[in-house]
Amino acid sequence: MKQMLRRSALFVGLVALASSLGLAAEDSETAHYANQVCSTCHGVHGNSPSSAFPRLAGQTAPYLETQLRAFKDRSRGDPAAQAYMWGMASQLDEDKIKALAKYYAALPPAHGTAGPAARVAAGRALYEQGLPEEGVPACVACHGPNAEGNELYPRLAGQHAPYLVKQLAYFKALQRSNQPIMQLVGQKLSFEQMEAVAAYAASR
Amino acid sequence: MSVRTVLKRALALAAGLASALALMPAAQAVPSFARQTGMACEACHTIFPELTSFGRLFKLNGYVIDNLPQVKAVGSDNKESLLLNWLPPISMQFIGSFTKTKGALPDSGTAGGVAQNGSASFPEQASLFYAGRIAPKLGGFVQITYSSQSGKMAWDNTDIRYADQATVLGNSLIYGFTLNNNPTVQDVWNSTPAWTVPFDQRSSLAPVNISTQIESLSGAVAGVSAYTYWRNMVYGEVGVYRSAPSGVSNSSTGGNGPLDSSQGVNVLKNGAPYWRFAIEKQWDRTSLSVGTFGMLTDYHPAGLNAASGPTDRFRDVAFDTQFQYAGDDHLFSLQASYIKENFTLSATAPDDPIDGAGDLKTRRIGVSYYYQRRYGASLGYFSTTGSVNTHRYPGGIAVLGSASNTPDTSAATMELDFIPWQNVKLGLQYTKYYKVRGGTDNYDGAGRNASDNNTLYLFAWFAY
Ligand code: HEC
Ligand code: HEC
Repeated sequence: MKQMLRRSALFVGLVALASSLGLAAEDSETAHYANQVCSTCHGVHGNSPSSAFPRLAGQTAPYLETQLRAFKDRSRGDPAAQAYMWGMASQLDEDKIKALAKYYAALPPAHGTAGPAARVAAGRALYEQGLPEEGVPACVACHGPNAEGNELYPRLAGQHAPYLVKQLAYFKALQRSNQPIMQLVGQKLSFEQMEAVAAYAASR
Repeated sequence: MSVRTVLKRALALAAGLASALALMPAAQAVPSFARQTGMACEACHTIFPELTSFGRLFKLNGYVIDNLPQVKAVGSDNKESLLLNWLPPISMQFIGSFTKTKGALPDSGTAGGVAQNGSASFPEQASLFYAGRIAPKLGGFVQITYSSQSGKMAWDNTDIRYADQATVLGNSLIYGFTLNNNPTVQDVWNSTPAWTVPFDQRSSLAPVNISTQIESLSGAVAGVSAYTYWRNMVYGEVGVYRSAPSGVSNSSTGGNGPLDSSQGVNVLKNGAPYWRFAIEKQWDRTSLSVGTFGMLTDYHPAGLNAASGPTDRFRDVAFDTQFQYAGDDHLFSLQASYIKENFTLSATAPDDPIDGAGDLKTRRIGVSYYYQRRYGASLGYFSTTGSVNTHRYPGGIAVLGSASNTPDTSAATMELDFIPWQNVKLGLQYTKYYKVRGGTDNYDGAGRNASDNNTLYLFAWFAY
């Protein structure tokens, strides 16, 4: 019994030691906040293991900022945004939004995950050429040759494919309704085309 | 049988019953967390009370994620000295139910009589929660419950914790301390006793199953433990539980303290060590955890001197696993546990070569499926077995006795649920007993069959 107590005391001591070492290694207040709050869903260093939560690592800073503002002012109002991010963003002030966007944009993005070859090939064609006869512009024009994103155009490379499909479906259903270009894209794509282009982007 | 043995057995039974009843209240999702975080219940729960991976991290991080406006104070050193939620994190929970057992229970007032079968309880339970952040890095989950069975308000599940996060060798490490009143109430996987799913296990069915110690200490102990979770993968925790020493008097009643052995409860000798280790792996929407936990308890049994003398010792070692798939439309989970208890009754049955020692094992497995978090079905099975013991499982007592002096009980339960809103749940549950306390027919020696305990339970749960 005494021995057990002594062992518990030792364990507590070790925990305290580990934590003081860790705190010394902690780089900034923003990183600490991101680790303690955002990472519980978006994963350690912005690389969430679950497709329920988008990866944020390496996303463009201007896009991250606009999204956090859109959650805060509730203009991005799809169901998942309402259930999760409206609350999370409601108390973020402009300084914190900028700091978090900068923090995540600077983290190394996830590597692409290979998808089924035929689907990825079909997705690539759609990504690079769009659907001219339907009036769907080529994704590459805005999202970049490697789907790496640019300023307000988000990075799609390495993102969870099911998350990308879900967003396209939200655009189509006008649930994510603050972005006219993407609504047009969403309207014109079938579910299969969404899956194909998402598989391609996720594989980059 | 001497008067003393009869008295001792009656006391042991009363204690058993009390702990079985104490075990039933299980808290659920708490809307004050939803208010505090601004997130829907689905963020933390697949279906309450089962936690999602975010729910587990929210709890391990000390319930502190807070998205409410704050009342602040800043000291002269320009440091924050107060950060209070704009709204207190208070919630209410209400359960109404209807219960019917196949064979009516005997009427305790009239020898040979039976009580009316089919009892409606409204409320069966009503709880008040304080659940949320207290200060930065400090949060709590405190439940006070009124139960119609006891007719009293009582302190229920409580878990107050301090937590922080650090980066160690490039990986995240959560560490913290919890102060709680029920071993495993602090745990985050629903395969441990305090928050076992599936099933709303508060049904007022005849408490014929016999539980191990670690399952029966709810509210009778206070404990502190230290924990760490590394890389959202490796969990470790050690702690110590205690009950109040005897001889402390209650100033309002003038009587003995609530945890005095003279009040018919077991009193823990010194501290009871508790430990828990688990590993979780996540792939996209799927997670799997495997773990072990246990406790070593030394009791001065009820009715004996709580300060000295021999003790009854119980050593519980358990293994558990949980598989969870939480998709947008389909939710599936499986929980299983195995608890093995070895006991030596040096106080109750000293120098008794037959009844002085033995073991008790419980196994549980359950699966559940929900469609769009709205319609659900669950199926579960449990089995308890153990050595013959005349002290612990006496015969000749209606319903709770065992003619064969064994604890062997097994049953299957199924439940159908309808969840019109995330904070409202309606359920229909049926439990079928295959064996109760060692027998199928006349297991108690008073004419009751195992199947007489089959229970139909209808409930309505809501929280706001
Ligand atoms: C409880 C889980 C949870 C927490 C905690 C959380 N998020 Fe989110 N976040 C989500 C979900 C779910 C989405 C997807 C929303 C959607 O589909 O519209 C999301 C989306 C986002 C997006 C948009 C990404 C994109 O590609 O469009 C950003 C940016 C974001 N979150 C930032 C944050 C930040 C910063 C924090 C910490 C302050 C945070 N989140 C905390 C669940 C969470
Ligand atoms: C004219 C520029 C433009 C074109 C062409 C375009 N997009 Fe977009 N896309 C955007 C912008 C801008 C956003 C950010 C929307 C917002 O701010 O809410 C976006 C957002 C998205 C998102 C959501 C990303 C996230 O992290 O939530 C997906 C998925 C997407 N686009 C896919 C596509 C696909 C597939 C195509 C081609 C079929 C395409 N886009 C073509 C401009 C474009």
